[in-house]
Amino acid sequence: MATTTPTMNRPMNLGASAADHLDRVDALAKVTGAAKYGRDRYLPGSLFAALIRCPWGSAELLSDNAAEVGKLAGVVEIKISRREGTYHGRDVGYVLADSVVALKRAMNALKLEWKRREVKTRIEDTVKEPPAINEDAKKVLDAAAKKLSAVYSTPVQTHSSLETHGCVVDHRGDSATVYASTQGTFAFRDGLDEALKLKGSDFEIVCEYVGGGFGSKLGGPGKEGLNAARISAARGKPVYLFVNREEEHLDTGNRPSSMTFAELAFENDGTITGGQILTFGGVGVARGGGGCDVPSGRYNFGDLRRAHTDVSFNAGGPRAMRAPGKPQGAFAEELMLDEVALACNVDPLELRMRLARSGNHKEMMKAGAKLIGWANRIPTGTQTGTIRRGMGVGLCSWGLFPARAEGEVVIYRDGSVEARTGTQDIGTGQRTIMGVVAAEAVGINPDEVRCSIGSSKLPVGPGSGGSVTAPNTAPPMRAAALDAKNKLLTIIAKELNVEASALEIVKGEVLRGGQRVMSFKDACQRITGDSITGRSDAAKVDTSGKGHSDGVQFVELSVDTETGVIHLHNVVALQSCGRVLARKTAESQIIGGVIQGLSYALFEQRVLDRVTGAMVNANLESYKILGPKDMPHITPVLWSKGQTKVCSLGEPPVIPTAGAVACAVLNAIGAPVRSLPITPAKVLAALAGVGGKKNEDGGAR
Amino acid sequence: MAEGVSRRSFIKTAGLSAAATMGPGMVEVALTVNGAARKVKIDPAATLLETLRVDCNLTGAKEVCDRASCGACSVLVDGKLVCSCMMLALDAQGCAVTTVEGLVGADGKPDAVQAAFIKHDALQCGFCTPGFVIAARALLNVNPKPTLAEIKGALAGNICRCGAYTNIFNAVLEASGQAVVADGG
Ligand code: FES
Ligand code: FES
Repeated sequence: MATTTPTMNRPMNLGASAADHLDRVDALAKVTGAAKYGRDRYLPGSLFAALIRCPWGSAELLSDNAAEVGKLAGVVEIKISRREGTYHGRDVGYVLADSVVALKRAMNALKLEWKRREVKTRIEDTVKEPPAINEDAKKVLDAAAKKLSAVYSTPVQTHSSLETHGCVVDHRGDSATVYASTQGTFAFRDGLDEALKLKGSDFEIVCEYVGGGFGSKLGGPGKEGLNAARISAARGKPVYLFVNREEEHLDTGNRPSSMTFAELAFENDGTITGGQILTFGGVGVARGGGGCDVPSGRYNFGDLRRAHTDVSFNAGGPRAMRAPGKPQGAFAEELMLDEVALACNVDPLELRMRLARSGNHKEMMKAGAKLIGWANRIPTGTQTGTIRRGMGVGLCSWGLFPARAEGEVVIYRDGSVEARTGTQDIGTGQRTIMGVVAAEAVGINPDEVRCSIGSSKLPVGPGSGGSVTAPNTAPPMRAAALDAKNKLLTIIAKELNVEASALEIVKGEVLRGGQRVMSFKDACQRITGDSITGRSDAAKVDTSGKGHSDGVQFVELSVDTETGVIHLHNVVALQSCGRVLARKTAESQIIGGVIQGLSYALFEQRVLDRVTGAMVNANLESYKILGPKDMPHITPVLWSKGQTKVCSLGEPPVIPTAGAVACAVLNAIGAPVRSLPITPAKVLAALAGVGGKKNEDGGAR
Repeated sequence: MAEGVSRRSFIKTAGLSAAATMGPGMVEVALTVNGAARKVKIDPAATLLETLRVDCNLTGAKEVCDRASCGACSVLVDGKLVCSCMMLALDAQGCAVTTVEGLVGADGKPDAVQAAFIKHDALQCGFCTPGFVIAARALLNVNPKPTLAEIKGALAGNICRCGAYTNIFNAVLEASGQAVVADGG
């Protein structure tokens, strides 16, 4: 349903996309509650399952009352398959019951006696001393006019998708349907055949709607899917297994923590000559996946020694989270630059204009500076009032990665058009933009195309990770639509006794030499049979993977120096993503990235008890996510500049925000807070340090 | 409500012996949901949220936290905004319950709040959306022309992980017939 009156409050973005005023095609289903997510599938005769978890960072299971609990009404089975765990949330078995309430009652009644063991919970438990400075780096540092020595750290951020991980498996003996909350419909299918004891073609993964996915739902069925599939296969009944909020925090992946040890050498004008940057990633019980992307390559850092080490401890491990490794690196990088600028008494934007490598970033910085009002920025260290204002800026970039994708476009005799791709819509607007692409190629309005997505029976499409869906599905969808159109025009051309190439479809009319021949609907009635299908393999599709997206964000905030509380005022987020397909959903992607970045900057943090290893805030009141009252004004700017290729958009806007916030705080209070989240306590501590001992070259150490 | 919460927490947290002795005999409850009378057999410990979702096939209200910290399960009970995860279905007897499905008109047209959410793309994954729509409807029922600050305050019990707040604010302004110029700031 397209609206006729545009949303005029973002005039700068009008004309930037292929469909400026198109509404998200599944918005009606989502606002009315009609959209069925995996969690909404209550099938008749379902059994309900929950995983039993280790409550400590490391512990051994001594005894349990499973036999007793198993006798409670409604409890079908209790299985304990492991008797130890090495992180809080490690699954050791499951409970199966015939209703939601019986399951909860059984979980409450289950008493497990554990013997705790010693734990490590942080990078610092292993990295106790600042690492040594490499000999080559030492030479660069010794020759430097100025130096910065600083440690930056970021906490574990949990994905916190509102729809938790899980699925409903309906095994019917020789076939099965799996209603999954996944970012990878096909990865889910490929991981489930053994557990279901069925071939991939004998079952269907259905994923029409996904209640959020920021990377953690990419890697196949996971333990939730595997358990549900095995139980359903064994019992021949539908099994409903979705984890609860606590488990979602504990054991569905996260953005790993990081520590960055920076030793930078720079000239009096801020030119960075090199030094050493060593990073550590806190990966819980995983062995890797803790990358911290600094330097990012967006700035010139001179002759730098660089190494990264992942550190394991007793906690749930990471899973790629929206731009993995990037926001933590950008936080350290942007704050470093502002500290260098401050030490040299240079405007941080001016320093970035000199150090930035891409002309695109420089242009965006100029445009963004005007929008945020950078000219009114108060120089760092000059404010004395209780409430102090600050501005910060940060950069991001993202590549374009190839992924396998096919599409189909079906034109029916009744004039309706269906675009088909198995890939899922996690909220990015995939369903909407597929329609835009197909409609444009056929020559009709986008709201006349119905999009079928989210099924493993549809043409294969990529997982929603790495921002690959739009750039990789748009070209095959376009090819399929062109193929379908050509097949239709061939039918009409035969009737008119002309070449198909002499005909075109524009705005729902078939034209010949610019003259109307018939309507699209009339043309469709000439289809013999029910429909014609256009396929993407009919054309060569650009899978070169070339293309990139850039962004610049500006943040304006104020700090209450008595309480340490930060008030966010304005964010200007400029973002390129190649050709924009639908303005509204694209703006939403940018706004959403910024909000997650702000939340990361100020609030989010997994807190583990250092003695027991238990997460103490595995809920949504003490694991704080930015809410309505914390919101600044956000201006998303689509930087589309006449590009023709669709590039990535989902991930990059989350990268620069926390760094820009940290820079704005430094600007406001004159001292850096080098650790996320930037809490009032850390602000007050930084303020208390102001005017204290500074190192000899003026940089705050 | 206070009685409902305490009864719920008692029943929900009852240990093995209480669970064994108390239940779980099924009871029949009569509910009025979206104007229609419904009789359902439920476990007395079932929350209104579970009953709506599992027994009434009204899955618009979502379970996200199950402890009143996200707003995703919001419904109107006698016109008041309630977290349905915190209320026993038993305690909703005799009350008029309205879910997000019930805001749709008899003609199938979405309510003004729902229409404005669509126009302003006030959602991404959509999982939080029913809760925000209900909370916004509750606000406009008592305050037809809220300021931006009042909107933020009224929605403070709801969380959106995808980050749709800016557009949600714009949608509520629009639904209340006010100019959308501030871009949610
Ligand atoms: S599920 Fe009820 S408030 Fe979160
Ligand atoms: S739209 Fe996804 S949580 Fe709000």
